[in-house]
Amino acid sequence: MKNISTFNSIKKIITGFIVLFFSIAQAQSNNAISGLIHHSENPLSHAKIVVEPSDKSAISDSKGYFSFSGLTNGAYTIRITIMGFKDYIQEITLNGQAVKPLHIQMESGIDLKEVNVTSRSTVKNNPETLVNAQYSAMPVTIIDRKTIELMGSRRLDEILKEQTGIAIVNNISGGARSVGVQMQGFGSEYIMVLIDGQPMVGRNNGNFDLSRISVSNIERIEIIKGASSSLYGSEALGGTINIITRHGVVDPQMQASLSYGSLNIIDATLEGETPFLQNKGTANIAANYYRTDGYNTNSKYIQGTTSPPYDNYSLQGRSRYQVNESSFLGLSGRYGLRRSFMQKDFGLGHISGDNQDEQDLNLSVSFDHRFNSNFRSITKYYLTYYSADMSVAWQQNNSAVSQDVFKQTLHRAEQQFSYSNNNSYQLVAGIGGSIENMNDNALAGVNSLETFFSYVQGEWTPFQKLKTVGGLRYDYTNNFGGRLNPSFGLQYFITPKITFKAGIGTGFKAPDFKTNYLVFYNPSSNYLVVGNAVLSPTLQQLQQDGQISEIRQYILNQTAGNLQAEKSTSYNAGLVLEPSKTFKIEGSVFYHKITNQINSIQVATGTNNRIIYTYQNLPEAVNKGFELALKFSPLKNMEISAGYQYLIAKDLSVKDSIRAGKWPYSQNIHDPATGNSYAPRPSDYWGIENRSRHMANTSVFYRYDPWKINANVRVNFRGKYPFGDRNGNQFIDKYDIFVKDYFLTNASLEKQLLKEHLSIRFTADNIFNYTDPLMPGQPGRILLLGISYRFFKDKEN
Amino acid sequence: MTKTKIIKKWHFLLLMIIAMNFIACSSNDENTGASLQDGKSIVINDLAGDTGAAMGDATEGKVQRSFHTFLFRFSDQKQIWLHTKADSLQYMKTADWDLAFTGPYNSEVFVNNAKYQYNPGYEGAAQNTAVVLLNETYQNVTQAPADSEFDNSEITKIGWSSSESSPGWFYYSLSSHIMQAIPDRTYAIRLPNGKYAKLQLINAYKGNPPAVTDLNWPAPYFTFRYYVQADGSKSLNTK
Repeated sequence: MKNISTFNSIKKIITGFIVLFFSIAQAQSNNAISGLIHHSENPLSHAKIVVEPSDKSAISDSKGYFSFSGLTNGAYTIRITIMGFKDYIQEITLNGQAVKPLHIQMESGIDLKEVNVTSRSTVKNNPETLVNAQYSAMPVTIIDRKTIELMGSRRLDEILKEQTGIAIVNNISGGARSVGVQMQGFGSEYIMVLIDGQPMVGRNNGNFDLSRISVSNIERIEIIKGASSSLYGSEALGGTINIITRHGVVDPQMQASLSYGSLNIIDATLEGETPFLQNKGTANIAANYYRTDGYNTNSKYIQGTTSPPYDNYSLQGRSRYQVNESSFLGLSGRYGLRRSFMQKDFGLGHISGDNQDEQDLNLSVSFDHRFNSNFRSITKYYLTYYSADMSVAWQQNNSAVSQDVFKQTLHRAEQQFSYSNNNSYQLVAGIGGSIENMNDNALAGVNSLETFFSYVQGEWTPFQKLKTVGGLRYDYTNNFGGRLNPSFGLQYFITPKITFKAGIGTGFKAPDFKTNYLVFYNPSSNYLVVGNAVLSPTLQQLQQDGQISEIRQYILNQTAGNLQAEKSTSYNAGLVLEPSKTFKIEGSVFYHKITNQINSIQVATGTNNRIIYTYQNLPEAVNKGFELALKFSPLKNMEISAGYQYLIAKDLSVKDSIRAGKWPYSQNIHDPATGNSYAPRPSDYWGIENRSRHMANTSVFYRYDPWKINANVRVNFRGKYPFGDRNGNQFIDKYDIFVKDYFLTNASLEKQLLKEHLSIRFTADNIFNYTDPLMPGQPGRILLLGISYRFFKDKEN
Repeated sequence: MTKTKIIKKWHFLLLMIIAMNFIACSSNDENTGASLQDGKSIVINDLAGDTGAAMGDATEGKVQRSFHTFLFRFSDQKQIWLHTKADSLQYMKTADWDLAFTGPYNSEVFVNNAKYQYNPGYEGAAQNTAVVLLNETYQNVTQAPADSEFDNSEITKIGWSSSESSPGWFYYSLSSHIMQAIPDRTYAIRLPNGKYAKLQLINAYKGNPPAVTDLNWPAPYFTFRYYVQADGSKSLNTK
């Protein structure tokens, strides 16, 4: 039964692609745009005009004139750049009627590009939301489609771990599948992951496994480092990763690609996009299949894999339809299915079977209406669903170690407005609400989580040399209360070559279901964890049943029902220097203060020496450091870039505890080499687990045009970082377990053939085959050979 | 001209990258087993505890029962299981064993003692035994403490070190859910036969891995080492 329906849906998809293929041949290209570029009555020549999302560009002639033809119907963004002037951006809708020639006045000043470390192209905003990274007071990194394609990476985690200050970290306590992203010292639980501006759900112990997401249909990735709750609300405490899917079809095209190599990795993608209904609509659809055998980094102790093998299917589509001259209806959806079974043999017949089936659905509908050229509204509804069916069992006696079915659903509705006064200011405001439900075997008395939010964001250029951004957002959660998050950022153009940037923002994360409602007993270790909101009644019940020997009344009074939201404040300041068009250097310092972090504390002791824990807020943790980025283009088509992050991440309560001589922090530290021991000092505290002091990367991208060859080499360095406490004093000192520092080298080579229709790519990840048992998720060398073919109409010019 | 320049740049870069990688191209592979042997002590590797007991509340396929206790004799490294009541009656009250591994994961260790009511040897033959915790590395313990220290010692059970006063041998982390032996805890023991010994409990995970990287790493498999001074003196030097 199931097979038949799968077959039918595959048939439908194939039919869809065939229809699409034919429409490629029939597409209409009948629109033209032309214009004149001036600066105070003088024509400007050599200005670069780019029409997004088409690939068309032109250079203005000596009269400042430019023209484009052969454009299909749709909404375009015209961007004009010229040295010494501010970028000019205009949106224009083409519907078959003749457009009057444009008269464009350029303003002097240098371009107002975002912090744009990796991107090689201009910023395109997502058409289905008005809240954009451009309003962020925190630094934004953008990775565009071209970079993703050139890197030859397959999954989102592979792309991100090559970015400065970002690491992919296994969370051992969350099981073999708990993998998350870390950014400027913030753990995965504080990084919000969004798809087209809407939050994605489905976390394992707070960790969002980014390998769930294929990069095949990603247009752009926007990364904000630092507290961003003023943009995105709860969870964006430490930063956000926003995945923008492919959109904005101009010319019909289709692409099929297939890669195969080490670990029997198969990555197959079929995607297509086309205008439809007399070019009133556009559609994009992509299907991806990915599989891997998994990898073992600890073959000395384990046979099997430490990084799971899996099969992943995903289907993604996005469509936009022009209802009338000023209204668009948008529809997008994504479905992912991942099946994974991982075996581990620890010797002597100890074979564990770890099974996980994940499903992931994202659906969104939006209605975009332009009242006039300045005033715009978007109404959105979003639904996401995630389920994970997980079990671990010992195979020889078929006994389950753990078994859980976890389901999460989120509905969200939002109304956004934007008002812009061309180049002087832009304002976005919105209001919305969401309902979230979570089903988990281990949760007691869970209600749904209801959230209401409202915000204002803006960008203002009071005078030529200063650009400011700011935002204010209010979030109200039914089980926690309200919280206001402001942010403010500015860019000051000291000279055309030097820009100063600074920003401040706040973030918060409302206590989750687990910390409030979980009641979990671990019989093997004889402890009980009781969620904060259900603490008092649970303890009362246990006491009535005669299962309590002692309650720490002071802690109970302090904690019960009093769990506060985790909060953060981020500060960032830096300089951007652009001595020439081919050289750019950026440096910034960051300081993130996190308060009220949620952690466990013993609140009672049960009979039979059972320890009973609950969750409490910790006073303060700080991530601070600096980041350097360098981009250099010594030759045409060659780009060398480098990045470095220095980070100190410390939990200040640990220092206080050491200072106060609190057990177990007060235990003597022993030097294993000499056997000497000494009393701990606050300076013996190294920092938080999994955070490296030093991280660096460098890459060279080169395109040799005559041969149509793209090549790149990337080297990533991660300094040593603490894996865990070895000596039982609950903090990391230099004698604890550390993961050694390491380099990973990746390279990719691409050759384009047949007028760029066909490309053949060779990808080598981790060339020197570096692995470490303490990094279960980092596979050794991977070699892949890929081929892709693009169907598109050859350009006239 | 420019082409040779490019080539030179490429070569330089490539060299740099290769050099960087060779410097750092070694994996973590500490060999912990070798360092345990000192020529005098007896090292016990992967002594299986009760691996069949229930571990979870709602798990299928497993009988929920508490962990079976086993006894251990230093003189011939014999493991004695107390599976049945008959086993218990036969062995518990004798002086034929030195250590008892009890409780969850067999992680709570007792030295045979007749006086403490929760000791498996309660009201048995081991009248004068005692344990003293020394916060020293194993090899640095060269002398058993004075008899008065043994007499005054209040240590009964060596298990989870969950408080400041606990003499336990391991720490269970609630954040990582992994038990970790506390380094530099050596137990000086006055045995049922009056001889002195020192004991270090090293690991409860199979293979004595340097770090446990999987939540479901098989346990309990005990790695420990001990030295019994055969001549009855207090010298415990194993260097």
